[in-house]
Amino acid sequence: MNSKVISTAILTVFIVACLCIDSHAQDARTIVKEGFNYMRGKSSFSVVDMTIHRPDWERKMTIEAWTKGLKNSLFRIIAPAKDKDNGTLKRGREMWMYNPKVNRVIKLPPSMMSQAWMGSDFSNNDLSKTDSLIDEYIHTITGTQTHDGKKVYLIKSIPKPDAPVVWGMQKLKIREDHVFLAQEFYDEDLKLVKAMTTFKIRMLGGKMFPKVWRMQKADVTDEYTELNYKELSFKKNLKDSLFTISNLKNPRR
Amino acid sequence: MSIDVKMAWRNIWRNPRRTILTISAIAFACLLLVFMLSFQFGSYETMINSSVKIHTGHLQVQSAGYQEKKSIRLVVPDPDAIGKILDQIQSVEAYTSRANAFSLVSSKKRTYGSIIIGIDPVKETKVSTLKSLMRKGSYLAKDDTDQILIGNLLAKNLKVGIQDELTLLGQGRDGSIAATVVKVKGIYSSGIDDLDRSSIQMPLKYFQDVYGMHGAVHEVVVTGKSLKDVDGIKTLLNTGIKKIDPKLPLVVLDWKELTPGLLQSIELDLVSGIIFYFLLILVVAFSILNTFLMVIFERTREFGVLKAIGITPGRLTKLLLIESISMTVIGIAAGIITGSLITLYFQGHGIDISGASDILVQYGISGRIYPRLSLLSALSGPGIVFIITFLAALYPAFKIRSLRPVEAMTYV
Amino acid sequence: MYFQLAWRNIWRNPRRTAVIMTAVIIGVWSMIFLNALMRGMESDMIKNSIATLTGHLQIHHKDYRNDPVIENSMYDTKALETALNKVLPPGVYRSARIRVNAIVGNARHTSGITLVGINPIPEAKTSFIGHAINQGRYLKPEDKYGVIVGQALLVKFETKIGRKLVLMSQDTDGNIASRAFRIIGTFKAEMQATEKQFAFVTITAARHMLKLEKGVSEVSITLPDNIDVEHVSTRLKAELGTDEYLIQTWRELLPIINAYLVIFDGFIFIWSFVVFIAMGFGIVNTTLMAVFERMREFGLLKALGMKPWWIIRAVLYESFLLLVMGMTIGNILAFLCVFALSKSGIDLSAFAAGAEFAGISKIIYPAVYTKDVIISNLVVIILGLLVSIYPAAKAARFTPVEAFAQT
Repeated sequence: MNSKVISTAILTVFIVACLCIDSHAQDARTIVKEGFNYMRGKSSFSVVDMTIHRPDWERKMTIEAWTKGLKNSLFRIIAPAKDKDNGTLKRGREMWMYNPKVNRVIKLPPSMMSQAWMGSDFSNNDLSKTDSLIDEYIHTITGTQTHDGKKVYLIKSIPKPDAPVVWGMQKLKIREDHVFLAQEFYDEDLKLVKAMTTFKIRMLGGKMFPKVWRMQKADVTDEYTELNYKELSFKKNLKDSLFTISNLKNPRR
Repeated sequence: MSIDVKMAWRNIWRNPRRTILTISAIAFACLLLVFMLSFQFGSYETMINSSVKIHTGHLQVQSAGYQEKKSIRLVVPDPDAIGKILDQIQSVEAYTSRANAFSLVSSKKRTYGSIIIGIDPVKETKVSTLKSLMRKGSYLAKDDTDQILIGNLLAKNLKVGIQDELTLLGQGRDGSIAATVVKVKGIYSSGIDDLDRSSIQMPLKYFQDVYGMHGAVHEVVVTGKSLKDVDGIKTLLNTGIKKIDPKLPLVVLDWKELTPGLLQSIELDLVSGIIFYFLLILVVAFSILNTFLMVIFERTREFGVLKAIGITPGRLTKLLLIESISMTVIGIAAGIITGSLITLYFQGHGIDISGASDILVQYGISGRIYPRLSLLSALSGPGIVFIITFLAALYPAFKIRSLRPVEAMTYV
Repeated sequence: MYFQLAWRNIWRNPRRTAVIMTAVIIGVWSMIFLNALMRGMESDMIKNSIATLTGHLQIHHKDYRNDPVIENSMYDTKALETALNKVLPPGVYRSARIRVNAIVGNARHTSGITLVGINPIPEAKTSFIGHAINQGRYLKPEDKYGVIVGQALLVKFETKIGRKLVLMSQDTDGNIASRAFRIIGTFKAEMQATEKQFAFVTITAARHMLKLEKGVSEVSITLPDNIDVEHVSTRLKAELGTDEYLIQTWRELLPIINAYLVIFDGFIFIWSFVVFIAMGFGIVNTTLMAVFERMREFGLLKALGMKPWWIIRAVLYESFLLLVMGMTIGNILAFLCVFALSKSGIDLSAFAAGAEFAGISKIIYPAVYTKDVIISNLVVIILGLLVSIYPAAKAARFTPVEAFAQT
């Protein structure tokens, strides 16, 4: 624990030092990793409104989410009442779903990983493979912008040749204070497939954090899924026992 | 009646044996061609029907775009209204409603993604062969609720048997989470891997509860009395739907649109029939040609005599042509009539073409082919025969012009 | 003497002879040719269905067919090899594969498929894939990240050769296994469904992905035409035992194809029956006419003192000669036709004009079976002799005067 704090401190010093000398020397991978760590925190708890928007239809639900690092997360629906207590547990690359009505836990087979999660524009893979961005891509800084007076790194991430990822490229916008502004997914022809954009960056859970996240497919205009953080708090550590199947079934908060 | 026609007619019956042989050759050729073309059309229809009856039906009413997207929200909101239109159409044999949803299906050991199909247990039996495809357990009863039928390959993959429980987890029409626990009542095998590997059928009412369908369905499946009724039903359905509300986003799809590969593969198989038909025409053509030639040879002496007594070659040719055409017409008429009668008989009774029909019955395929008589099958073969006989008659009719009476008369 | 008489008689009226011979030639030709076409189509159907990976025989772990997962592999490949080498006669092709359900995906599409790990060289001889490549190239044993997919899948996925596909399945530990492959080629199959169903990689790549150290999911065996499938199946069962292995013939593996073949058989039977009737009618009619025409002649012979039996015999001799000559020519013609078509086949798509068939070539290669040829010839000769007896016998019974009165 202590060592991690120290290393973070050292890194921060290092970054600051680098910034002083030459911002472009900043290692792109580090920016991405730092960004991820910043956004996810060590552990977090949040309450999110998820809106799935379609031209003729819209659906809203409220979800409680616990995360620990990049590997573990637990989601539980709290509204609407009809779907209350449905849950999803993600541990590493594996996912389980729980439904209170039938009181069963179902492990997602590989065939389902590319399906939409809860009918949204996020696929199960988007949830389960978040860490792949760090390990399976090669990142380069392509430029900088400014946003609210802060510097924004434009990062191009190309998958390593044999990485089992479907994207041809991702483009990230990460602010110098580690806030993710955008993540764009491209196919192998480098055509945009879908993009996630964040809005309303404000103090949340003790740090600057985007309140609204929107995932939108590239070729349709009026279809998107929006996450709106109603509550967010970063914890030092959440117990591993939180991310277990028995807890997925029996919420003991 | 001119003297020539009279003479030709008398000539024909002067040697009834020869005439009957000639006419029967023509009649028989027509008969075979009529029958075989009807048989060909019939087997085409039999094969299509046995394929569409496994699941898709001849026609379906769906929400526009459902065929491509299969989104649970693209529904036919009021299937009863469609039913009312269908009740009015004479050529509809049966119809039923279905609803589909993609869901996770989980047994104690395994989880797979599968299509859950809501069916009306009673009406379904009239539209599809599902009931006869049951291998284990039994078919759904009218009032069953949380009972399902499952494809045999999926059952194997999930490692479940009769009475075992399955958990279904999917998304309802309103986007809410749909989940239920059901019991396996029966296991079916259609022989079509897609269906057997990834489909589960449950009572439509129960499906509508679980998936929050509010009485809506995804498909109204229709079978016509026969394949040729399909286009007519499609038109009537379209106008009927327009009458309810011209803006309803509903489409009527026929079997060609529902299973595009089916038409292709069946036509490909049956195109082979064209070769057989071609061969058959060749054989009958020669048989007719031979008969005609023989008749002419046999009558060389007679022609010699006619010429000797001063009949002009032109008149002789005319005489012969009248003779052969009248024989041809009689033959063709007889051929069409007997051919049609035989075809009609088999159209009613079917031709059993399978040595091992029990294998076929297992898959709901009937081992019988029912020939289908139509104007096309009744007339196209005889039409070809008419052309052949006419050409066959032309040769000798002109050949006799150069006949020299003396030589001809010495001919034995 | 009779022979000579008959021979001369035949050429006394060459036109008549020519007509009868035509009837016989067409008869024999049509029967042989039709049979050859049908046999060709039948074996084509069987070949097509078994070439799509099935083969004549397959060996699996006994649980694999019920539960096609990677755990149900046959691990003792050595024992398997030994048994196969012992039982299988030379000229037999076989191929071992890994075959599991998988998910293939790219940035825009995902689809459930069957992942097939193959040994490229033996596989090319066993199944269709070796000669079905229409774009790019076939797999090489050293291809670690190459995948071959169907043309239809390539189109559906809006991708092309050289592009990446991610394959996902469950590994031997039950965890999700995923691996990136590059499309190196596409294959074409008769059915679009086949093109969408299979993705081929090398067996080494599949093993690597699925964490399977050794072992195979299935062995597919393709036999030459002259070897009986059931026989080999029985011997393999005896050699390998049925406790651990499941040995099935294509008829068991493809029940619905088997059922369709049964229908097709019936279909073929009806066609040959009808063509036979048409052919028979042609011969009967022509021969009848020819003999009736000679009624006078027979009467004359009788008046000259020939015994009725002799007349019949003379007619039979003549008919026999005619038939043999016609048959010879008919056989030669039929074989010429079959031979001419044996290379190029008959392209059925040419018969079916229309855009629907554009791009599809369904070619029949006629196949001659000795049995069919003998039967065709026997049928024609017996039929021919039978129909010539009738008028001859009738003529033989006539008094000369009656016979002369016949025109």
